[in-house]
Parts: sequence; C-alpha cells; structure tokens
Amino acid sequence: MRRKLLVPELGGARAVILHRPHPTVQALARQLIAIGLAVDTHWPELEPAALAADYTFFDADMGYDAQFPWKPGAAPMPMIALLGSEAPGRIGWALSQGADAHLLKPVGDNGVYAALLIARHAFEARRTLASEIEALRARLADRQTVVRAVTLLIAEGHTEDAAYDQLRQRAMAGRETIEAAAHRVLARHKEDGHGRRRSS
Amino acid sequence: MAEVEARTDLPFRFRPVARDPAGNVDRYAPLCADILRTTGARHIVGCVTSWSRKEVIPVLERAGGALWYPCPYEGFEASEHVVYAHAAPNQHLLPLLGWAFTRFGRSGYLVGSNYIWGWEMNRVARDLLSDAGGSILGDRYLPLGDTDVSRIIAEIRATRPAFVLNSLIGPSSYRFLNAFADLGREDAHFTAATCPVLSCNLTECELTALGPVAEGLIAAGPYFRDPATAGAFGSSFEAAACDAVRTLAAKLAAGSPDADLATLLARPTERGLRIDPATQHAVLPVVIAQVRGGVFRPVARWEAVAPDPYLSRRTAAGTPTRPPLEVVS
Repeated sequence: MRRKLLVPELGGARAVILHRPHPTVQALARQLIAIGLAVDTHWPELEPAALAADYTFFDADMGYDAQFPWKPGAAPMPMIALLGSEAPGRIGWALSQGADAHLLKPVGDNGVYAALLIARHAFEARRTLASEIEALRARLADRQTVVRAVTLLIAEGHTEDAAYDQLRQRAMAGRETIEAAAHRVLARHKEDGHGRRRSS
Repeated sequence: MAEVEARTDLPFRFRPVARDPAGNVDRYAPLCADILRTTGARHIVGCVTSWSRKEVIPVLERAGGALWYPCPYEGFEASEHVVYAHAAPNQHLLPLLGWAFTRFGRSGYLVGSNYIWGWEMNRVARDLLSDAGGSILGDRYLPLGDTDVSRIIAEIRATRPAFVLNSLIGPSSYRFLNAFADLGREDAHFTAATCPVLSCNLTECELTALGPVAEGLIAAGPYFRDPATAGAFGSSFEAAACDAVRTLAAKLAAGSPDADLATLLARPTERGLRIDPATQHAVLPVVIAQVRGGVFRPVARWEAVAPDPYLSRRTAAGTPTRPPLEVVS
C-alpha cells in the first residue's frame, strides 16, 4: 500500500545550518525563510541550543564529528547533508552522521522543500523502526522468562497448551506483552514461595 | 506598457519585445534565451502554466533575467528569478474551500486535469476536507484534452456531493461543465444552490466558450471584471500582467534600473503590487465570485492576503477563515 506523505508543520519550525559563511548559506537561508522556517547559522560548532532545532543542515565537505553536541548518528532531528565533493569518503562521513537527505552545492533556489520533507520522512521512519527493533530485542531477551513462566504453570497442573494459553490471556487482560505477563507470573510465584516458607 | 510610456516622470522607457511559443512547452526556454541574449530585455512577463515557467527558470538563472508570472499556480516554489504576481493556493483554494464548507457542506467531489495543477489542487483539497472532518467522495483526473467525462458524471450522480471542485482545463473542463449542466436539468440537486462547481482557474476568458452553462459557477481569484467600470481588465490574468508592468516601472524608477531583482523588490514603492520579499509572491486581495447573468459577481472578498506558497503558515494568524466583507445579493 502506498503510504500518504505526511506534510510536516514547517511554519515556525527551526532550522540550523552548520556551515562556514558562504553564498550557499545565504541561498539556503533564503529558501528556508521563504518556506516559513526560522534559521540559525553556526560554525565551526553547533551550540547546545541546536538540540532544540527541528532540522539540521550540515556541511559534508569540511565537517567532523566533534562539531555536533551528540554522538555520530544520534541526532535528535532530521539531518540534511550539504554535499560539494562527491568523494566516497565525504559521503560516507555524512551517512555516519545520520544524513536523512542531502542537497548538492551550490544550493540554488530549489530542492530545499523536497529535502525537508524527505529528511523528515526518513527520520521518522528510522525512529519508528529503531523503537520497534528495541522492543523486539527486549522481547527476545525475555525468551527464558517466558519458558520459566510456562514451566511454572505446568508445574501448577496445566498442560503445556493451557499454560501458554493462560499466559496469553493474562497478557491480553493486562494489555501487556506476553513477556511482561511472564515476569508477573514469576514474581507472584516468588512471593508465594516466600509466603509458604514463612508460614511453614 | 502604454500607460508607463505615457508618463513623463520616468527616467527610462519600456520597449516591448514579444515572442510567441504558441503554447508549445518546448519553445519557452529557447525563446526566453533568445530575448535575454539578443534584445537586452531583462524582465519578461509571461508563461501560462507551471510547466512552461519551470522550463524558463534555468534560462533566467544562467542569463540573470527575471520572470513576472501573471497566472495562478499550485504553490511550492519560490525562485529568486521569478515574481509571482497572481495567486498561490492560500490566496485561492484555501479561502474558496473554507467559504464553501460553511455554505454547502464538507463532502466534495474533486476532478482535475492529469498534471501538476490538478494533482496538487486536489491533494490540498483532500487535506483540507480531512482536516475539517469532511468526506472526499471522488478524486478523478482526465488526461489533457480528454473529453470523456461520462464516468465522472456517473460518480457525481451516485455520490451526491455538496460541491464539486473543478481543476480541469481547456476542452476537458468545457465538456465536463456542459455534462454537469445536463445532469442538473435531470436532477435539481446538481445545480448551483445545492451542489456548486468551484474552480480556481476559471476566469472571464472562458465565459464565451462556455455560454449559458457557466451560470452559477463559482471561482476564486484576485480580481474579477466589473462591467460597470470603464476600462476594466478583461480578467485577472490581464490585471496581474498589468500590475506586474506597473510594479516593475515603480521599482525601476526608485533607484538604478540595473539592480538585480531582489534589490529592486526591496525598494519601497507606492505604486503597483506589494511583493513579499521573502517569497517574491504578491500580497493580493482574494475574491470569490459567482457567474450570474453571464458576469462574475463577487460574493466574498478579503483584502491584502499575504502569500504563503508552501502553505506552512496555514495554522498561523493571517490566513483568512471568514471574510470581513460578505457581499449579500
């Protein structure tokens, strides 16, 4: 299915440009202002205030890791590389910074709007995937928890199928993952175990 | 230009140079290059489609020329070499639909010619309808010049929208409007009082070709001809082109005429259009008018609407939602 392009709210959005003073910066700022964004220019380092920006445009020709107040690839906003040299080393470095889109220098009076939309789209897609992967990894790490919970339920007299089913139903009732339900089964068992030991 | 020539207070004269691409999109760039190379002209008033405008922009960039574009367009452009003298979507489509939603309802059928104007007008209309909680009952495109409108008419008949947004051009539009008028004679719902046809590209230029089926059509634009005014422009295209020439004369007269376009536009001038320096689009009135008795009659009007070619200030102040002047008739 074709996904509808989400057009971001650009009126009043903030863009920072990390580039030495240059006509490219003027041309880029003009287009951003025409589109409705507020623009700040920095060089050679992005100040911490840039963390609040909605978009970062950065020079891929003279850029280096220490310019950014975040780790390479961990920018909290869409990143757009300003490419002059098309040497693979520079493109590779721009990608390592997490470039979501690029503009070729010299920047003229078109391409900026498309770069904003493409970068926003790529950034959101990347962020959604990253959080999905993180959630899946966490669930994967809990495989043993699920196995132990099922084993416990079997020990309480359920068949294997019924044990799984009960775990699934607990997860549904608690609106949580099956792994979270398994954690609670184990926790309850631990409490019960302690209780039994105290009472005996 | 004759008006500028007749003035005795200007330190320069305008000499007209004309080239006619005859509507052939491949002729625009070479003829533009020819003007800039051989005639000494630096300012060109013209182009009638986004397609032709995009063809000449690279030529303007190379030769340092400027284009004054006198037609409505779908927005999403702000070339340093172009002055946009006619309306962008926040000056035609947004006020037109906002006005129509409150009067006719929020279920629309969208039809357009199969190119950028039709696509983008309908995309914006879809977004506006969705944002307003309305429904999009149809969204159809005809190839340029195609006149087979039977399927579109059948869908409109079946879905009974509260309005139709018509972004067809040329023969497709004429055929569609004739067929829609036939539909209205069969079923009175499909007439202007209950299901009007709205358009942002309908002007006086089309009225002769349309004849009586134009009756009741509603259009948005910066200008409509008032037949009671002597010497009124024939259409908003004429008005925008003339305003472009007047504005150019005023800007040139306010300093060195050899300045580049951005410098010219930065000069404050009394006469002519107000051009927003950030986008080089004109600040324009927005008029909604309905054809009554063969003439466009204004039904709503906003003064001095600032351009927003990227629709990025849509939710900010300044976008009209309700006209300060409502013409009751």
